[in-house]
Amino acid sequence: MDEKLIESIVREILVHTSLHTSSNNPKPLSSAFMDPKEVGIGIGAAYGIKIHYTISGLSVDKVLQEIMAGIEEEGMIPKVYRITRTSDVSFMGNDAAKLVGSGIGIGLQSKGTAVIHQKDLYPLTNLELFPQAPLLTLETYRKIGKNAAKYAKGEQVMPIPIQNDPLCRPKFQVKAALMHTIETELVVDRGEPELVNTKG
Amino acid sequence: MEKIVAGIDIGNSTTEVCIAEIDAAGNLHFKSSSGVSTTGTKGTLENIKGIKEALNLGLGKIGKSIQEVSRIYLNEAAPVIGDTAMETITETIITDSTMIGHDPSTPSGEGLGIGETLWITKLDTAAYDKDYIVMIPTEIDYIEAAKLINESKKHITGAIVQNDEAVLIQNRINRSMPIVDEVKFIERIPEGMPAAIEVAGTGRSVQSLSNPYSIANLFKLTHEETRRIIPIAKSLIGTRSAVVVRTPNGEVKEKMLPAGKLRIESENGPCHEVAIDQGADKIMAELSKTPNILNVEGDNGSNIGNMISRMKQDLYKRSLSAMDQIRIKDLLAVDVLVPIDVKGALAGEVSQEKAVAVAAMVKAERLPMELLAQAVYEALGIPAEVAGVEAVMASLGALTTRGSTLPLAILDLGGGSTDAALLQNDGTAQAVHLAGAGRFITMLINTQLNLNNLSLAEDIKRYPLAKVESLFYIRLETGEVKFFKEPLSPKVFGKVVVCKEKELIPIETKHRLEKIAMIRKSAKKDVFVQNALRALRQVAKDHDIRTISNVVLVGGSALDFEIPHMILEELSYYNIVVGKGEVRGTEGPRNAVATGLILSKVGSVW
Repeated sequence: MDEKLIESIVREILVHTSLHTSSNNPKPLSSAFMDPKEVGIGIGAAYGIKIHYTISGLSVDKVLQEIMAGIEEEGMIPKVYRITRTSDVSFMGNDAAKLVGSGIGIGLQSKGTAVIHQKDLYPLTNLELFPQAPLLTLETYRKIGKNAAKYAKGEQVMPIPIQNDPLCRPKFQVKAALMHTIETELVVDRGEPELVNTKG
Repeated sequence: MEKIVAGIDIGNSTTEVCIAEIDAAGNLHFKSSSGVSTTGTKGTLENIKGIKEALNLGLGKIGKSIQEVSRIYLNEAAPVIGDTAMETITETIITDSTMIGHDPSTPSGEGLGIGETLWITKLDTAAYDKDYIVMIPTEIDYIEAAKLINESKKHITGAIVQNDEAVLIQNRINRSMPIVDEVKFIERIPEGMPAAIEVAGTGRSVQSLSNPYSIANLFKLTHEETRRIIPIAKSLIGTRSAVVVRTPNGEVKEKMLPAGKLRIESENGPCHEVAIDQGADKIMAELSKTPNILNVEGDNGSNIGNMISRMKQDLYKRSLSAMDQIRIKDLLAVDVLVPIDVKGALAGEVSQEKAVAVAAMVKAERLPMELLAQAVYEALGIPAEVAGVEAVMASLGALTTRGSTLPLAILDLGGGSTDAALLQNDGTAQAVHLAGAGRFITMLINTQLNLNNLSLAEDIKRYPLAKVESLFYIRLETGEVKFFKEPLSPKVFGKVVVCKEKELIPIETKHRLEKIAMIRKSAKKDVFVQNALRALRQVAKDHDIRTISNVVLVGGSALDFEIPHMILEELSYYNIVVGKGEVRGTEGPRNAVATGLILSKVGSVW
């Protein structure tokens, strides 16, 4: 192999990596106007693809529909993205927040764990976290959507009361780990967020 | 050779110490001061712990120990305690589901709809020639409801929804109509009754249903009937959406609750009676008519009566006085509006009911201060004596404020009481203790904002407010913006917060910043401005405030960021120099009594 060939290969690789690193920090798909009425929902890689029911047996379509209804009732516009670069709920929420004009996003794992996030927050903090997915009901998901929309409007928000069950963790640990593994297996290295068409 | 002496002021909430050195020639040097929270109730033996702590703190600053102190002077604490209570005097009752005047956060559509109430499930059997207002219960979700409305050829003019889904339904139907949602007890609305529904545009409030004549016009009411619907119209003022259903017997009543009476006994003269439900102004007018109040009694069984007997019990336990010597010497009443759930409401409506909040001051013959002095001597081994009356001592201490002169009036704005004293050129002094001070303000804030959190109310009282508009900046109540380099805690995002020295405390209620600020300011004004005028009038010559030339504000509440300004503004009408004290030029409005105690004893130490 001559030097020229090696050089061209190296250059090729460098070009590729520099292209991909830009996706590490998600930028809005369009650099122009971002609608301040949009609230982001970042769903997991397996959501509705490999996993169709959350850990508590709710249909993932229903869950997403409730969150979107909550946002719509508050007069805002839900925008759903599939986050493929990570399966961590906090990063998913933060990514979704950065993709919309309001700067507010909801992270939603396939197993049902949810978080309300804001674009300026450190990824591992949050506005509101709903960690015990088995205890979440469709009503709670509706409220999550409503609260996220209220944050986006800059209204006074009352945090959603959440239940806490200490037995929840041992009871669902195995199932949660398996579901999370399924989701994580679908994660794509430096994968771009994909806008999900929710009409129809 | 110098002697170290300490003046100690035991207050309702803080114990303050002033330490000075006095040499044989009588030269006085102030060395140090300190303040800690009072341990136990003032005037009891439990205070010794706090006294010791405050002494150690003050002496530590100048590298001395308790053994080197040669004398301790205690204040003759005024044997008064204050307490507060509130009595609601109105109540709103809705009978027969006549109206829904609540403010769902998101109604939809705009305008006025009139028709007969009808369950949405019965749309297909309804008549073609009538207008209907459909009622949508929880079981019918927004998708199904929108479908039923779209498929129906009937004339639908509005909708009442049990769930919070007004916008969702509006977005899915092929016509525009007013929709009111979050009606919790929708099943109580009678079917087949004429009803009107109104939703105002964003930023506006209902116009038709808050006007009695509009309602009369809509429902074709007679003059007599129109008179009866006035409470309905009144209760709908300011809401963004409203529903009124006309039922044969339905009514909204504003009922006066039976509240207790106060009996004011004066030293010489007849005894006055005033009913609590006549409001604060009337009570205060009645009180000011009575020159030397001997005692105030409340009706047995009423809130006010219970409060008064509770306070008396309290003081009885503390003082050595007999029960019948304990008397209410002063009372401050303030009108307040408290949010209370409406009885018979369909959507959990809350109405602002009138109430009277009362602070009262109980006085006994004397607190056992001599016993306390004896106990201090035994515990610390230092001779202690009760040196002088609190109010006079405070005047002496306040006189160290540069720019003040005799005759000098002080206003001691404390936690439990507002005290005033007037020190004349010849050294005579007159003092009064009035009910209502810092803690009363906290209670007013707590009840009017429905916080149920006294420590949060205390913070709201003491610090300015701000709204967190982004994670990097807040907008203060003055309108200014303050930026931060590091993102704020997500806990405060989007919330109204109290700006404490180093932290922001979120206020988790639905109240807007302006409303919280307004309630805070009016509480301070109602209590301290009113009390400042009352107190000065009582100590002034011929009860004329204009005879007083300068007033020094001392005490904990004088440290407040707006109370001194409010008093200054009010008293400037009377041409009086008034301001926060600068005790010894270093202590601000604090430590006046402790300083006064030492000043009063300079000559008698050696």
